[in-house]
Amino acid sequence: MTLLLAVLLPFAGAALIAWIARLGRSATAWAAAGITLGAIALLAPLAPLPFAGETLIQQLDWMPALGLNLSFRLDGLALLFAGLILGIGLLIVLYARYYLSERDSMGRFYAYLMLFMGSMLGIVLSENLIQLLIFWELTSLSSFLLISYWQHREEARHGARMALAVTGMGGFALLGGVLLLGHIVGSYELSDVFASADLIRAHPLYVPTLVLILLGVFTKSAQFPFHFWLPHAMAAPTPVSAYLHSATMVKAGVFLLARLYPALSGTPEWFWLVSGAGLATLLLGAYVALFKHDLKGLLAYSTISHLGLITLLFGLSTPLAAVAGVFHIINHATFKASLFMAAGIIDHEAGTRDMRRLSGLWRFMPYTATLAMVAAAAMAGVPLLNGFLSKEMFFAEAVHIGQGHVGGWLLPVLVTVAGAFAVAYSIRFIHDVFFNGEPGDLPRTPHEPPRWMKLPVEILVVLCLAVGVAPGLVVGPLLATAASSTLQAALPEYHLALWHGFNAALAMSALALVLGSLIYIARRPLMAWHERGIERLDARVPFNAVLNALLALAGWITRTLDTGSLQRQAGLLILVALLMAGTPWLLGDTPLAGTHTGLPLDAVSLAAALVLIGATLLTVHWRGERFVALIAIGAVGLVVSLTFIKFSAPDLALTQLSVEIVTIILLLLALYFLPARDEAEPGRGRIVRDAALALAAGSGAAALTWAVLTRPYDTIAGFFLENSKPGGGGTNVVNVILVDFRGYDTLGEITVLALAGLGIFAMLQNLKLTAPSHDSAGRAWDADAHPAIMATLTRLLLPLALLVAVFILLRGHNQPGGGFIAGLITAVALIVQYLANGATWTHQRLSADSHPLLVWGLGIATLTGLGSWAFGHPFLTSTFGYMNWPLVGKFELASAMAFDLGVFLVVVGATLMILTGLGGVHRRESQKGSH
Amino acid sequence: MDALLALAIGVLTAAGVFLALRPRTFPVVLGLTFLSYAVNLFLFAMGRLAVGVPPIISETASGYTDPLPQALVLTAIVISFGMTAFVIVLALKARAELGNDHVDGLEHETDRHA
Amino acid sequence: MSFADHLPILPVLLPLAAGIVLLALRGTGTGVQRAASLVATLALVPLAVALFAATADGTHFVYRLGNWDAPFGIVLVADRLAAWMLLVTAAVAAFALLYAVNGTDREGRHFHVLFQLQLFGLNGAFLTGDLFNLFVFFEILLLASYGLLLHGGGRLRVKAGLHFVVINLIGSTLFLFAVGTLYGATGTLNMADLAVRLAASPAGNTALVQSAALLLFVVFALKAALVPLYLWLPAAYGQTSAPVAALFAIMTKVGVYSILRVYSLFTGLGDGPLAGLLDAWLLPLALVTLALGVLGSAASSGLRQQTAYFVVVSVGTLLVALALGTPGALAAGLYYLPHSTFATAALFLLADSIARARGTLGDRFEPGPALPHAAWLGGLFFAVAVAVAGLPPLSGFLAKFMLLQAAVATPHASAVLAVVLAGGLIGVIVLARSGSLLFYRSQATEGAGPSPSAVALAPVAGLLALTVALTIAAGPVSEAAGDIASQLHAPRLYIDAVLGARP
Repeated sequence: MTLLLAVLLPFAGAALIAWIARLGRSATAWAAAGITLGAIALLAPLAPLPFAGETLIQQLDWMPALGLNLSFRLDGLALLFAGLILGIGLLIVLYARYYLSERDSMGRFYAYLMLFMGSMLGIVLSENLIQLLIFWELTSLSSFLLISYWQHREEARHGARMALAVTGMGGFALLGGVLLLGHIVGSYELSDVFASADLIRAHPLYVPTLVLILLGVFTKSAQFPFHFWLPHAMAAPTPVSAYLHSATMVKAGVFLLARLYPALSGTPEWFWLVSGAGLATLLLGAYVALFKHDLKGLLAYSTISHLGLITLLFGLSTPLAAVAGVFHIINHATFKASLFMAAGIIDHEAGTRDMRRLSGLWRFMPYTATLAMVAAAAMAGVPLLNGFLSKEMFFAEAVHIGQGHVGGWLLPVLVTVAGAFAVAYSIRFIHDVFFNGEPGDLPRTPHEPPRWMKLPVEILVVLCLAVGVAPGLVVGPLLATAASSTLQAALPEYHLALWHGFNAALAMSALALVLGSLIYIARRPLMAWHERGIERLDARVPFNAVLNALLALAGWITRTLDTGSLQRQAGLLILVALLMAGTPWLLGDTPLAGTHTGLPLDAVSLAAALVLIGATLLTVHWRGERFVALIAIGAVGLVVSLTFIKFSAPDLALTQLSVEIVTIILLLLALYFLPARDEAEPGRGRIVRDAALALAAGSGAAALTWAVLTRPYDTIAGFFLENSKPGGGGTNVVNVILVDFRGYDTLGEITVLALAGLGIFAMLQNLKLTAPSHDSAGRAWDADAHPAIMATLTRLLLPLALLVAVFILLRGHNQPGGGFIAGLITAVALIVQYLANGATWTHQRLSADSHPLLVWGLGIATLTGLGSWAFGHPFLTSTFGYMNWPLVGKFELASAMAFDLGVFLVVVGATLMILTGLGGVHRRESQKGSH
Repeated sequence: MDALLALAIGVLTAAGVFLALRPRTFPVVLGLTFLSYAVNLFLFAMGRLAVGVPPIISETASGYTDPLPQALVLTAIVISFGMTAFVIVLALKARAELGNDHVDGLEHETDRHA
Repeated sequence: MSFADHLPILPVLLPLAAGIVLLALRGTGTGVQRAASLVATLALVPLAVALFAATADGTHFVYRLGNWDAPFGIVLVADRLAAWMLLVTAAVAAFALLYAVNGTDREGRHFHVLFQLQLFGLNGAFLTGDLFNLFVFFEILLLASYGLLLHGGGRLRVKAGLHFVVINLIGSTLFLFAVGTLYGATGTLNMADLAVRLAASPAGNTALVQSAALLLFVVFALKAALVPLYLWLPAAYGQTSAPVAALFAIMTKVGVYSILRVYSLFTGLGDGPLAGLLDAWLLPLALVTLALGVLGSAASSGLRQQTAYFVVVSVGTLLVALALGTPGALAAGLYYLPHSTFATAALFLLADSIARARGTLGDRFEPGPALPHAAWLGGLFFAVAVAVAGLPPLSGFLAKFMLLQAAVATPHASAVLAVVLAGGLIGVIVLARSGSLLFYRSQATEGAGPSPSAVALAPVAGLLALTVALTIAAGPVSEAAGDIASQLHAPRLYIDAVLGARP
């Protein structure tokens, strides 16, 4: 897995560098260089394979079932790019060592740089397209970090976010495209994709696939109309621009274009979309570049223009054009990287990049000037330099494509114009900076940079010359293998040479040189004209506008929906529930009522129902007068428990009754701290709306009840009735279900009760409440008045009540009763003490801390359940036997009753905890009052 | 009889919903209590209605009603008791923290868009 | 039966016992309680792993509580899905607790008891095979969550708590209405038995059982925070204390789990009155949820609220997977579930550290002081943001890839692709904005709070490590997810296991 290692090495290196940074600046730079060299050393031995026409593929399973594996590919194209990335990367490492100032953190810079290098290597060495996409996104992320390296600068932060947004969008589009591609081919492996090229081009999904993928390509390679992020990314340190924005990241787009060329090219859609975008970008970039006063701005737009040129070449989709495209990728990388570095040197030494202030630097830095001139000449396409050769091929192809088409002359003309502008801005780069009179007021007096800062530029410039003079010798083989692996087919007939004789291309080059010079001479009026118009349109403005619009929209939608109003949420929930439950009836044809006939109506029930309804309406009506409402709701609860008695549910009746009492007491205690009266609600609208919703809900509930009651059903209840006595050892089936058949429910339920107690206890800690000093009628409020008779009476009643509770607990298994009811009765009895005798009195006699009750209760219940493990039975398996007790007589003892004891304790504990907790607040209040 | 019970459940639900939608905490608590009455009766009714046949095994019994819903309701009653108690105290806590008894902590209804 | 046969109930009993013990230990020092709580929580991990291993071959462990057969008694059913949920819960709970013991647990009473009982409720809900028992455990985890949510108090927190409690009480009422109707129509409560009886229910009952099933869905949708029932979440999660919010990252998943469990049974038996009940509208709702979540994150004024909205996004994504319903999509969802839980939990915890370090500014998106240890905080934030945004190379991207790959093969490809990809993009932009506001636009160190302790950042790193593990082990994990999905697509096996269970 050499390829995998080569890709992972820089990532590991990033971590290493972050750690090494403490050892000093040079050490950091050396580490970065070492890592780069290491990657080179790993790949070098494999380099001969592509030249021998072989494609090396290495795979490692990752998610085989989903067709996503770690699989790498080394062929000509991959090798070319790997070479660019690592070679130029090494130069950048060296250059940056001298470029960065003392204040800049070396560790962060080189760590980010290594992250980026690894991601870039990953892209070009990927065989699996999803894996390629992963690295693709990683370049976006790492370039975000690199562009925002000088994070204190506003434009750096903004440029970074813009780049991330635009390339991020492209990345997500690309993901979509690749997924479609994989859907068509049935695999994400490039080899399979190449193999099924015809299938892809014929597939109905071809166009969406192509468009999505091109979105990724165009955003990454700054193609019109997505070019605008690149100039803003120039806020990055110059080494970053030289690396990312000339040689590598922006080339990822055209790399993908080349990579997928065999699979996607050759259709009209491809031709028009790709060459269209390319041509537009070529012209726009070349034109705008001329008018940029910032050196890096000029270079940025020139880069855009050259990327357009390459894209256009691939768009033309002739083999020769593709070859030219690959060739220009190499050439552009060399001369543009060197130009960026030169610009960086100038900035570094002169303290500015503004060409309106720079001039006449020749006297101060003739050596740098010479290097820059050669590189710029290559950019302009001057003979004897590499730029000339690829541009010649480009012009030739433009002419060739034009032939035989209506308006075919247009393409050659346009590309010549673009060439002319390229010449013009190249001249400007040189003339404005190095000549053009004496230097203006520069921040520093410029001088030649340190030796090692020039070296990278020298190397690159020498390459430009070498390729330009002896292309066949220097770059021929590499170009051949790269181009053939791009085409995935035999190479077309071409020969790299300076001289192709007098032909159209040569004429166009000459014309471009002449025209370019003229344009430069006429630049002043042009600039004046340009700055009145096009210069004003800054891509940043619409971009921010869109982004802010998005944020505004998001804010508006979110605030509209999420008003933080409880009533609204509750209403919505009820409405949704109604709609959901209602639809089946409204849409379906099921009749609401079934066939089953119910019980006959009797007068008592009718009366009870009327009381219930009356009391309910009363509560609703008097909700403002809270004490009245409380009494009314008490009546409702009473009728509910009567209903349970009526319909053969004594246990429920008892439970409901005791719960009712405790609840009312609680509400009474609570009311003490709440306003006794509601202020009237403003707006009838809401009342009406809620009333309507309430009526709908009520009818819904009634209808649902009716629908069920009028239908027969077949229940599992029989089992409980049969097994209650023999299996559960109790005749009170409800209780046996609670403590045995469904004891697990009960365990959960007492936990809920305990939790309620604990939650309330936690809430009441240091709760400060101000009680009204006067009641609603304005009479003075006395928190602690206890009629003597009631006090004595209740004290007498207490033991009796407790006895009853015990009795109910014990008989619960066979007769109505059980842990809950007993517990609640006990609690009520204690609470009554508390009400009658006051908190102080009760607290003296009653431990205020009911935590132990909860511990014991839950503990006993759980342990009873665990006990059955000893007998090899599942949790909560019950057992029972009979024994004679004095007084009580023959008595049955069931393990379930121990469980019920646990229930009893928890109920008592929780209820007391709640009430004494509230009482505690009362006491604090009354004491406050007395002081 | 069944219709009467259905009606009662309907009324209780309606009252519960209406009160639960009020802006002050106390009516909301009442509303939730009504809702628990309603749903407990509903759950109970799911075992169908029967008079004089409690699910307590004895030789003399003429028959038994479905005991399961009763057990469920008993559980539900106790759970809703815990919940009600919690929400009552929470209402107090809210009053203490928010300074008033409005569910959204608004002094007056009109505060929302202020 | 041997001790090993009790395995399915141990994940439920352990936290219960721990809760009781901690309650008994309330008098002792904080150290003892923390130790006990940590031990109990960490012990859940091996239990979950054991259960996961035991169910891996497709076995359904049926634990007959009280030694009664289904459908009469309550049974616990441990299958692949349940074990999966237990595992995720145990992991996230462990890290949340590790963070809490840095001091959050001392800001109020009974934190550890509530925490353990919360786990009791969660694990119980994942394991039960009985619908009413599911209600009971919902109530347990809710009441525990009420206590935890309010833990520490404070104006906004109490308000959020009040809303959360009231809304959920209404939800519980609806749950009872639904369960009641289902019992009234079928006369049973055991989910497997319900599935059988519902599939065979007479034509006259169609609308009845349908409205019951839909009512039940409303309850689960409320728990899961599906549009339009998600409005409670941002405030509740955004206002509570960090470790609680981190633990709550699993709470919405309970709703999703319930939908998966119940409807795979109710609608899985082919032609019954409930067949295809959710198909028509679940996907649109899920997509809208995702979209609104993303927009909410863009509109958030603070990092914690933003994280809460990312929880909504994760719910939307999960339900998209669920709604697509194909085995592939379901597998993607089940792979995404732990990822999104860990990622959002990590962000909740990190947001708290950042807020403390920013002093008075808290987590509000305003230019603030340069942070102490900005490198650490910033680095962690970058990594967590990558995870939350679902960017490569972390598991979020792989989950998204799985989901979209599954979606491409369905008729809804374009809609799903559009929403998920656009949502992802906005998420990236939003997080980049937050990060640059919190970390880049910082001036001098005035007003900076205490620098975060390594102990406070460790849990974040731990949760990140889990997502990294999910990434590296993506192959086996996604296959496990696939197995869970295929088991869910064969409800007959579940039913036979439950109804056929005999000692």
